[in-house]
Amino acid sequence: MSETLSTARPLRARRRIPTRTPGRASGAGAARGRLGSPGSSLLWAAPALAFVGILLVYPFFRSVYGSLFADNGFTSEFVGLDNYVRLAEDPILGRSLINTVMWVAGTLLLPVAVGLLIAVATYRMRLGNLATLVIVLPYAISGASTAVVWKFMLTSGGAVNQVLGAVGLESLAQPWLLEWPQNTLSLIVAGTWQATGINVVLFTIGLRAIPRDIVEAAHLDGVSGWSMFRHITLPQLRAMTVVVVGMAIVNSLKAFDLIWVLTQGGPSRSSETLALTMYREAFRLFHVGYGSAVALVLSVIVVAASWLYLRRQMPGGTRD
Amino acid sequence: MGRALRNLFVAGCVLLWLIPLYLLIVNALTPAGGYTGTPDWAPRGFAVLDNLRIAWSEAGVGESFLVSLLYAVVCGAVAVLVAAMAAFAVVVLPVPRPAFWFWLIYSGTLFPLQMFLAPLFGLYADANLYDTRLGLMLVYVAWAAPFAFFLVRNQMTTMPPEITEAAMLDGASFRRIFWRIHVPLMSSGLGAAFIFQFTAVWNDLLLGITLSRSPEVQPVMAALMTLNSAYASSGPPVILAGALIVSVPTLLVFLLFRGLFLRGVTAIAR
Repeated sequence: MSETLSTARPLRARRRIPTRTPGRASGAGAARGRLGSPGSSLLWAAPALAFVGILLVYPFFRSVYGSLFADNGFTSEFVGLDNYVRLAEDPILGRSLINTVMWVAGTLLLPVAVGLLIAVATYRMRLGNLATLVIVLPYAISGASTAVVWKFMLTSGGAVNQVLGAVGLESLAQPWLLEWPQNTLSLIVAGTWQATGINVVLFTIGLRAIPRDIVEAAHLDGVSGWSMFRHITLPQLRAMTVVVVGMAIVNSLKAFDLIWVLTQGGPSRSSETLALTMYREAFRLFHVGYGSAVALVLSVIVVAASWLYLRRQMPGGTRD
Repeated sequence: MGRALRNLFVAGCVLLWLIPLYLLIVNALTPAGGYTGTPDWAPRGFAVLDNLRIAWSEAGVGESFLVSLLYAVVCGAVAVLVAAMAAFAVVVLPVPRPAFWFWLIYSGTLFPLQMFLAPLFGLYADANLYDTRLGLMLVYVAWAAPFAFFLVRNQMTTMPPEITEAAMLDGASFRRIFWRIHVPLMSSGLGAAFIFQFTAVWNDLLLGITLSRSPEVQPVMAALMTLNSAYASSGPPVILAGALIVSVPTLLVFLLFRGLFLRGVTAIAR
């Protein structure tokens, strides 16, 4: 073995520019032809391509195509863009869009902003790690379990109303899940309980990456407290903030389990977001084509939001 | 003063976050028939074993628990293996247009599940995969593989290509290079991907309720949802006990492998 390695050395020295793909780089080397042809390399990716191709990529395009049909599961008739025209006129979809926007805004306001505050507050704090651990814990719990726990908190005889009564705020007690917009707002709070922790973790990673000397230099100049946060911490966290905001928006758009188990989108579809509207239309009302159109609209929004953070770090992408 | 305010803020947040967990545990202790209609704030009785038993056997969470364990372990492992092989192809081997293949596989995690559901349902009905364990396992692998691929690929690009080159010059085959060099060197990265996908499959509800119906196929979150509506009248203790049961595996995984778990989540931020 050491013999072959020693013959290898001059060969490596001759190739001055290191490449990332050793298989291609040593095309003239020892293993050429035997296993290194492009076709046989693709065999390594074949299982993944088969799974993804048959069960995700094909259904994706089938959905796009299916959104052009009026399809009730039994009969299907080509209607062109009618489903999309219906989307624009559907009052339920209007409410669903408003709720979706509320979810996105609420996610930026609560899990992201509160997450940032908690990360800054617990950073370098005694027991700060323990506090972070408690707040991240719900992240390991599923959306369905979170919904079960919060249903218990939010029903009319639930813990929230009980606490309001106990502190003399009976007037604020109400059926949180039965009226719009309280039901969507309550759901966002339940989502906050689950999702804030991960943002705290991400922001803490960002805080750790801030160069010490910048903070020390600012200290020497007498900067502290709010202006430290405003002029040093926040700008230094910019890159991480983009990621957190992008991921939070995408997750809020995809939120399904929590809402479905807590309210099923009701009462009378008042707490539906686009993710639920698609499911109800396609699998409860058997408006399969219409559901596919909703899914496509949701996908376009999700991909646009993902682009916020994805373009930074993809191969062949613009990393600037 | 600033420090006191900060401590107060953190303590308040921790308290707010603990209250739901505390109520979950305390009220799962209440005897199933003895629920008063309002939440208990102090333990009343110790019927937790009874509640757990009712949720586990009578409400059928137990059966789904074991099935979901199968789904999460097998599909997590298969997805990571499939993803690691694909990453090996894209990063190490002379695949033409690696960026194209990357995006093709990675696109599986970009879109919301809703985009795939309706055709998947049709496909499964035609192929007799609807309401079968095999069907759910196939879709879980497909669903878990793209992000695992992303994680593994990211780590694989950080490995010095000289290692592979040296092995190739020694005449090692690609299969040997993959199993003897890449898999051992990346064991922590593969572990992180597995833990992440295990949790994702375990916590799935949407695919479960869309592609299965019968109790012996349904994953555990679907069973929890059934329990949630079936026991709505008899009160929360049994339902909360069910929520407790289904949360134990992921909480354990999280507490035991916190570093690996968070590596999966934070990989996207680097």
